[in-house]
Amino acid sequence: MKKILLIFGVLSLLIFIRPALGLNTAQTNQVSTTTVQQTDEDTEESFIVNAIDGIKQFYNFTGFANATPGHLIMIIIGIIFIYLGIKFDYEPLLLVPIGAGIIIGNIPFVAGLQTGIYESGSVLNFLYFGVVKGIYPPLIFLGIGAMTDFSSLIANPKLMLLGAAAQIGVFITFIGALYLGFNLQESAAIGIIGGADGPTAIFIASKLANGVNILEDGTVVKNLIGPIAIAAYSYMALVPVIQPPLMRLLTSKKERKIRMKPPRAVSQKEKMIFPIVALILTTFISPSALPLLGMLFFGNLLKESGRTERLAETARTKLIDIVTILLGVTVGASTQADIFITKDSMLIFALGAFSFAIATMGGLLFAKFMNLFLKGDDKINPLIGAAGVSAVPDSARVAHIEGLKSDPHNYLLMHAMAPNVAGVIGSAIAAGILLSFLG
Amino acid sequence: MTPIPLETDQLSEGYVILITGMLIVFTSLLVLTIFFKYGVPILLYVYKIITKGRDKKIEDIAIAVDENFTGEIAAAIATAVHLYLHEQHDNENAILTIKQARKLYSPWSSKIYGTQNRL
Repeated sequence: MKKILLIFGVLSLLIFIRPALGLNTAQTNQVSTTTVQQTDEDTEESFIVNAIDGIKQFYNFTGFANATPGHLIMIIIGIIFIYLGIKFDYEPLLLVPIGAGIIIGNIPFVAGLQTGIYESGSVLNFLYFGVVKGIYPPLIFLGIGAMTDFSSLIANPKLMLLGAAAQIGVFITFIGALYLGFNLQESAAIGIIGGADGPTAIFIASKLANGVNILEDGTVVKNLIGPIAIAAYSYMALVPVIQPPLMRLLTSKKERKIRMKPPRAVSQKEKMIFPIVALILTTFISPSALPLLGMLFFGNLLKESGRTERLAETARTKLIDIVTILLGVTVGASTQADIFITKDSMLIFALGAFSFAIATMGGLLFAKFMNLFLKGDDKINPLIGAAGVSAVPDSARVAHIEGLKSDPHNYLLMHAMAPNVAGVIGSAIAAGILLSFLG
Repeated sequence: MTPIPLETDQLSEGYVILITGMLIVFTSLLVLTIFFKYGVPILLYVYKIITKGRDKKIEDIAIAVDENFTGEIAAAIATAVHLYLHEQHDNENAILTIKQARKLYSPWSSKIYGTQNRL
């Protein structure tokens, strides 16, 4: 009871002495008008009016006064993301930070206090800098490189082509977006969703559709980083839903039962040669992909060299975790309702699903095409073609599970990892090409 | 990166990017494929010749392992290790109760303890 009285006393004291301290100059004008109206009232009542005005002013700064339907919709979407991540275990490491970020980004506030992610100088804006300038994606690639085992790819190099075939999704979507009226840069950024690679998509979006670049005809490109990142990551989480129907549609029962011979053992020397050679070859062909591929293969070299285990360990655990946290939250927060809820975002979501489907089909059909030239033991199970849409390791797991459904003793995971990691390389190269044409 | 000037029409430029893009993606991964199919074995062979005599013993072991060590054996070993590490039914914890059974004060034959702390 004493405490309550004390707090109440302090609060009322603060309210009374506020005009004396000149805390709210804007409010003093209103105060003078009210006192004019109430000249015959005693002074205590004018204090009460004063206090009510203070509360009103405070109310105008709260989220309740500034909320729009857009904010509420986005907050609900954020909560759904968190729910999906926790309840169904759909990529919780991404969906939970993004969901929390969406809530953070959509708390209504009065502009001008350096709180919002798009207000220069705010803390969130500083963290968002890493997204806008494409700093986070290469760091994530470093961690992915330090995690990835390329041995199944080295054992069976021809599977690399499946990773290339799946990139058709990127380019077809690019054309589709052009037809829907996006300009070249925006279309390229949307197309890369088909690469099924979150960091790559963010990287390209931050370079091409960042709301800063000025086009040849003088217009400024739209800021599509938020929708593209959200689309890429949510479809990556939905790979187990999108891919299986297409797999069953495009392959026969017999093809799904094809058993592939186990990959040969790969020596350490080959594993060490791979990142160096692949780095040099791919970046010579597509130098714009250097930040992504350079970091990817550098991370892999750290892993395979056998001498830098400490660095590899940090890259694949602590470093990638830190960057994922920052990336998830800021990408989520960048979906501020007034920028996010637009017709473009809806189109991007539709195109994203389309590009995933095309990429999956590209991989599957190309695997079938390759089978025309392969004999006996060398035949490829077309299911692993679908793993060519990076989305490591989800799509490989989906291929594996679909294989098990047709033949419970057919373990495709190791084989599916090869096109899967090739897809990462392929989509980074595709990103580099798009950047070099349009950057 | 300076943009490469192409036709002014967006759609035709889009198709140019589509075709060249797919072509480049395919060629770059094809180059990688060919290199790892043919280039790396040659490299390793050259390396073997250069370092002949120095680590012949290790080399012999490597070849012997390579011939028989397939993915199936690896899978079997991995399964065995997994079973050993994660499903050790032989070494289960003997405490079967969920309730915390540890007592703060436990002179084992104390009469007062037996009357007051019934589980």
